[in-house]
Amino acid sequence: MLEVLTLFLFNIIVYNIPLLYGTTGEIMTEKAGSLNLGVEGTMAIGAVAGYLVGAKTDSLFVACLVSFIASGLVGLLFSFLTVTLQANQNVTGLTITTFGVAFYYFIGNALSNSQGGWPKFSGTALERQSQAIHIPGLSDIPFVGKALFSHNILVYAGIVIAILMWLYFKKTVPGLKLRAIGENPGAADSLGVNVAMYKYIHIIVGSGIMGLGGLYMGLNMGGTFEGSNCWINGYGWISIALVIFANWNPAKALLGTLVFGFFNTLRVQNAALAYTFPKTLGWLTNIPSHFFSALPFIITLLVLITSSLSKKNKSGEPQAIGRNYYREDR
Amino acid sequence: MRKYHLVRRADAKIQRTLIYYGIGLLVSLGIGAILLAALGINPFEYYGRMLTIGLVGNRYGYKSIEGLLKILVPLLITSLALSLSFKMRFWNIGGEGEFLIGAIAAAIVAFNSSGMPNFVTVVLMCLAAMLSSGIIGVAIAALKVKFNTNETLMTLMINYIMLYVIRYLGDTKADWNFFLREDSERPIFGSFPDSAIMSGIPLGKFKLLWSVIIAILLTVIIYIYLKFTKQGYEISVVGDSSATAKYAGMNVGKIVLRTMFISSALIGLAAALTVSSAGTISDTITNDVGWTGIIVAWLSKLNVPAVFVTSILISILQYGCQAAATQYPAIDVNFADLLQGIILFSVLVADFAANFRIVKKEEAKNA
Repeated sequence: MLEVLTLFLFNIIVYNIPLLYGTTGEIMTEKAGSLNLGVEGTMAIGAVAGYLVGAKTDSLFVACLVSFIASGLVGLLFSFLTVTLQANQNVTGLTITTFGVAFYYFIGNALSNSQGGWPKFSGTALERQSQAIHIPGLSDIPFVGKALFSHNILVYAGIVIAILMWLYFKKTVPGLKLRAIGENPGAADSLGVNVAMYKYIHIIVGSGIMGLGGLYMGLNMGGTFEGSNCWINGYGWISIALVIFANWNPAKALLGTLVFGFFNTLRVQNAALAYTFPKTLGWLTNIPSHFFSALPFIITLLVLITSSLSKKNKSGEPQAIGRNYYREDR
Repeated sequence: MRKYHLVRRADAKIQRTLIYYGIGLLVSLGIGAILLAALGINPFEYYGRMLTIGLVGNRYGYKSIEGLLKILVPLLITSLALSLSFKMRFWNIGGEGEFLIGAIAAAIVAFNSSGMPNFVTVVLMCLAAMLSSGIIGVAIAALKVKFNTNETLMTLMINYIMLYVIRYLGDTKADWNFFLREDSERPIFGSFPDSAIMSGIPLGKFKLLWSVIIAILLTVIIYIYLKFTKQGYEISVVGDSSATAKYAGMNVGKIVLRTMFISSALIGLAAALTVSSAGTISDTITNDVGWTGIIVAWLSKLNVPAVFVTSILISILQYGCQAAATQYPAIDVNFADLLQGIILFSVLVADFAANFRIVKKEEAKNA
């Protein structure tokens, strides 16, 4: 009985950390005043590039590095088009998603039809390196130990990234300047902040972080190419929703990942829970799984409406989000 | 100090824009050719097969045209609809969701229409779809106008909520669920009765569906609406500057609500025509027109005749990739999406080159 709950808690974390990567990456981008709707595509490219090179070199470190760089390049493309060439952010972002997911399928189909086929995952060093690390002592705590302290390295890295990003925004001068750009780029520019450079750096780093989340998803799926579904499978879009739910705060993104992850896991495991606790949770089987899938989007819709209704402006939404900054228009 | 900076060209010539766009298109096809060659496929043969959409040496060539038109009609109408809202700088990226709402509404009429006359049923399907999609559009516009709720993110959420609604309908076997086939144990969407199937004018073996004629008529009507009516003029003023529109005495809120109703209702209409031509409904019925429509609208710079031409080109690209996939199994329809993405990236660069120029600092001071 307790095992079911431990497994539930464990799965919330292990299957939803990619959301944290996608969300923190997008928060960094949006704090620079840019709305990048290409999370799904950026994650897809990071996943496929990182996995293939990682499998070739048989090293998780190389896989992470390559997926960060590949997705960073997508971020560079986004910054070049929207910051330097002043292209529309919505259209550019959506095209990155179309392009990135299509790129995933293009490579996937080509490899599946080739002689060598898709590179194997099981039995490789890459698989061993991405297995769970049991933190001695902590992972032996009954019930929560396995759920919280025996995960693969990318889980811990994602949490560290979120905390570091929170500190960066809150406590450092570059973080403060970045937030100023997101609120009012004209004002930041007049104070001598190099707006374009800040935007470039943070969009690229943000995209790179998304790419790591994509790679994580590929590893989660055992690295097998599935023709019908992309590895990312909508997590990029949930991440965009989660940014709003987390109120553009990386620390709250940790909490948000648990909340959205809870529903996501409930969707898969509602039958197991209902079976183990027939009296208290038997009703779970009556709720269609589609409802749990839609719930993150429904919640975000409600958050969007209520936060715009409230008079107090406590929202962390950058004021200049989605609008390009062109000096001469000032 | 930076030595160079950007200056917006005062004289944006249409010829220059077209030439730059043409170069962008060629560069994209070139990148696509490199990718194809990397897979050991002769790009000229592939492109040849793609651009002729399987017409050459095919006894059933008319089927290719029918298939192409089935892709074109929803894409054209959706792109036109999205252009209307983009012209106001209202970022309606909820084309997918609005399309699905329309499709579900039309299907409700269709599944309950057996015995009704065909014409009446199809008209009712269109009206139901337009009304339900339009209402969602107005609701989002109202939140934007009243409380400044972010419309981009709102419409994005609608897309996914509606996707799970239609999947729920398609997966749930129940007495109330008339969307599913009754004679099947597994949940499968049923087929419409004959009364709800789009009819057309037979031209030999080829059947010209009414939906195609409606789409072309709509293109003309929207062109006239935007170019020659007061309401069309108001849309462009609001898009240029809502402050200007306000000072000119226009009721900006009303214009936004009205235009969003028209925009979403048109997407609903596209959905009704699509499900009626398909004779059924599914969770992939949108064929991503909500997303592709945004790319088409943007490639066309929200200009109606350009939307018409671009929709045809993108449809050829998509249908051509489907047709070529029979010959080249390693390359499926996703290659069309890949090319679409590359084309849009190059055109964004071309658009910039056509509208800005880079000047040296000193030169700019003298100017």
